[in-house]
Amino acid sequence: MIGVIAKREATALFRTPLAWSLLAMVQFVLAYQFLAQIETYLKFEDKLRTMPEAPGVTEVVVTPILGIAAMLLLFFVPILTMASISGERRNGTLPLLLSSPVTSRQIVLGKFFGIGSLLFVLWLTVALMPLTLMWGAPIDIGAYLSGLLAFACLCASYAAVGLMFSTLFTQPAVGAVMTFGLLSFLWLVDWATRLGEQAGLLTYLSSLNHFQQMSSGLLNSADFVYFAALCFSALAIAIWRLDGDRKPL
Amino acid sequence: MPDAPLLSAQKLTRYYHGRKVLHGIDLELRRGEVLGFLGPNGAGKSTTMNILSGNLAAHSGQVVICGHDLVRSPLLAKRHIGYLPEIPPLYIETTVDEYLIFCARLRGLSSGESKLALEKAKHDCELTEVGGRLIGNLSKGFRQRVGIAQALLHSPAVVILDEPTNGLDPNQIRAVRATINALAERHAVILSSHVLSEVQALCTRVAILHHGRIEFNETVEQQLDGMRVQLLNIDSEPIWERLDGVTNATALGGGNYRVVVDDYEKAADAVCNFAKQKGWKLRELRRDTSPLETLFVDLTCNDTSATP
Repeated sequence: MIGVIAKREATALFRTPLAWSLLAMVQFVLAYQFLAQIETYLKFEDKLRTMPEAPGVTEVVVTPILGIAAMLLLFFVPILTMASISGERRNGTLPLLLSSPVTSRQIVLGKFFGIGSLLFVLWLTVALMPLTLMWGAPIDIGAYLSGLLAFACLCASYAAVGLMFSTLFTQPAVGAVMTFGLLSFLWLVDWATRLGEQAGLLTYLSSLNHFQQMSSGLLNSADFVYFAALCFSALAIAIWRLDGDRKPL
Repeated sequence: MPDAPLLSAQKLTRYYHGRKVLHGIDLELRRGEVLGFLGPNGAGKSTTMNILSGNLAAHSGQVVICGHDLVRSPLLAKRHIGYLPEIPPLYIETTVDEYLIFCARLRGLSSGESKLALEKAKHDCELTEVGGRLIGNLSKGFRQRVGIAQALLHSPAVVILDEPTNGLDPNQIRAVRATINALAERHAVILSSHVLSEVQALCTRVAILHHGRIEFNETVEQQLDGMRVQLLNIDSEPIWERLDGVTNATALGGGNYRVVVDDYEKAADAVCNFAKQKGWKLRELRRDTSPLETLFVDLTCNDTSATP
């Protein structure tokens, strides 16, 4: 049943110009930045050769590209998820799902995987771009893969947060603003500590911190736990909210 | 169990922002019954239908569909529900075929069963020619029919239709009525409508809802023929049931009565004779040409007469 709902959600997303325009814009920005990074690398290539522990092409080109892609997700995901439940509520199609023999969990997970399928396409396009470097330069496959893993974690947890706000608010725009607000807060929350060296809770809360750790090639279970916790708690709240109207008070 | 009700609702109540909008709704529906749900706007019709279809929880009370409690085992109960809300729940970016297949799969039909159900529903609702078109490009009448097709697709035991003929032209209304009539043989149908003649033509039973209470719940035949009587100078309440041809009567105040009859000629004679015999003045006696409308207005328009 989750598959049925996910398939419809994905079809609906890919039928709108929204998905394609977002994919195209992300590609455009990344490609531009990609070329700029290559340019930078070529400029300093000779200098880098003389340094003993110089960063390779992966550190100079691939990791920054993933960083930019991650930042674009902050803008991209709220727009993608904002109408997934609230749009159904507004268009009056939610009763179809609610009067069918499906649970709220199946509805939320179906939506999640539907959005996930579009994000997977985005992930693929992001993953393919650095591979073109392999014609001319050696890539650190380990760093490349862990960067992609970090990006996938980010996609999943952001989609979950967006979905949560889409169930909490009736107006899609409000859901988008709240999603963007929370995600950018989590992104930047440890800036306060960067000045004062006081690591701890704020550093742990920062998604940028976990993302950078992972994409630099350091696979740490704490980072996985962070993204998994964000993902599951957001989905749990979404399910709880969707059940709200149907469960006796 | 041929006689067990397909749907039974008991003592449903619901509050909105602290205001009680449903005051203990009781309903029972058996196979072959078509219940017409009437009431002024805001009486609680849509709220009741939302509760019966599992979209909204009642604050108290119970809904049982085909023996399954809607709250305790919603998945089993909802397999037997087909629901058309006031706004048809359509995805405008999908084609009619895709949409109906999705609905069928959502109701737990296999992919093969879905295809059969799709063909049958399209045939029943006259949608065969528009199967490949986007729902967003269809006219209102076609959209309404897609909404109805969606509710009948999985051949549910209980079909709940909120204003099914809304927005249709007269020919389409006739077609939808024929569909509902055909349905009634094997299913139980609840439909709400503002068109009283439609309810009279389609329904076997009428429930009138007013201020969140069911004020009237009877079979249609019992109410089909009636008359209005005004008696003056009466010294005791007449015992209407004893009169020839009279089924029952309701006092409306001021000596006015709404009398339900099974034989108008007999009943009119009996009332005249009875009044003469008692020495009462018969001020008015007229046949009700549209008894359902009279009933509706009596129950919902004039509050003092509705709650004696």
